[in-house]
Amino acid sequence: MRRLALAASLFVVVAACSSSTSAEPQTPELPVIDLAGFEQLLADLDRPAVVNVWASWCLPCRAEAPLLQRAHAEFGDRVEFIGIDYNDSQRGARLFLDEFDLPFQHYFDQPGEVIASLGGFGVPRTYFFAIGGELIKTHNGVIDEQTLALQIDELLNR
Amino acid sequence: MELTLLWAVLTAFGAAYLTLRLRQIDVPTRPLDRLIGAAVVGMFAGRLAAILQAGINPMLNPGQLILIRGGVDTLWASLGGFAALAWPLRHNLRALDNLAPAALAALGGWHAGCVWRSTCLGSVSELPWAWALPGSDLTRHPVEIYAAIGFASGAFLFAQLSLPPGMVTGLAVSWAALTRLLTEPMRPSVGGGPVAFYVVAALAGVALSAWSNQRSETRTASP
Repeated sequence: MRRLALAASLFVVVAACSSSTSAEPQTPELPVIDLAGFEQLLADLDRPAVVNVWASWCLPCRAEAPLLQRAHAEFGDRVEFIGIDYNDSQRGARLFLDEFDLPFQHYFDQPGEVIASLGGFGVPRTYFFAIGGELIKTHNGVIDEQTLALQIDELLNR
Repeated sequence: MELTLLWAVLTAFGAAYLTLRLRQIDVPTRPLDRLIGAAVVGMFAGRLAAILQAGINPMLNPGQLILIRGGVDTLWASLGGFAALAWPLRHNLRALDNLAPAALAALGGWHAGCVWRSTCLGSVSELPWAWALPGSDLTRHPVEIYAAIGFASGAFLFAQLSLPPGMVTGLAVSWAALTRLLTEPMRPSVGGGPVAFYVVAALAGVALSAWSNQRSETRTASP
């Protein structure tokens, strides 16, 4: 029992000491986007889009980030990936992007104007748009590999 | 709250429970507990492997371990689950054989759970039984239903067999690996599934069966 308590204490100390929240983020500030800007963004695209809503305080978003990274590496040449940071701080968002290399454009939507108009609930949330900006599917919660791949395939085959 | 994954787990549990109830089997203690324990070990092994591969430190992000929906590494989940089931019964291969059909049924139930999760569909197909996503004209293979049928038929088949100790377990491993291998080309994924692992697992299952048969013959032949 004493060993278990010692191990737990060590775990907490290591976890606390390893935190690097004081570091200055390397990622530049995210551009702010409103509903009109978002609609214009989609209208200008010549390919389908996957829009992922995330926040730095959201633990499931961290679970999802590596999958988005891999999906972007595989489908990024045929599908536009867009990130929307919701209800967050610029600093938190930049630290998140420092931690997870998500090499696509991210926007800052602190009040949630864009996602309120699109519907759905919770964070993370993923929207799938056909060419021209038609919303095809909304996925609430952490998206799994199979669902993401299926919806992207659906977008590409339309 | 999103509970579809829970429904898929309950479907798997129900399939294993029914298989165990329908058969009078010889497993030392609490067969269902053994299957559930193996599933939990496999799930955490797979999740741990997935977050390590993604470069996430589990010491700094312990909460990531329980976010199963974030992804589970199939290879480590399979190895962890199989080891947790097989290691305690390594001296009682007959008991392991008796559990194998229920384990296959659980895998079938898990795949059939795609109905709750709306994740049954795979590659595009024009076969008469193919179906489309809501609002879409594109019909697709119900690939997870194929997998569920594969696992269920394996469970049924191996429940009928009476073979030397360890042989049914080996054949069940091969059957499971082949079921996944045959359905993999139809399964949507990011970067492809662990095809090489399924090939190795199928061969390992055959090797285990051959070894079990050989061992049994040697014992029978010796005075």
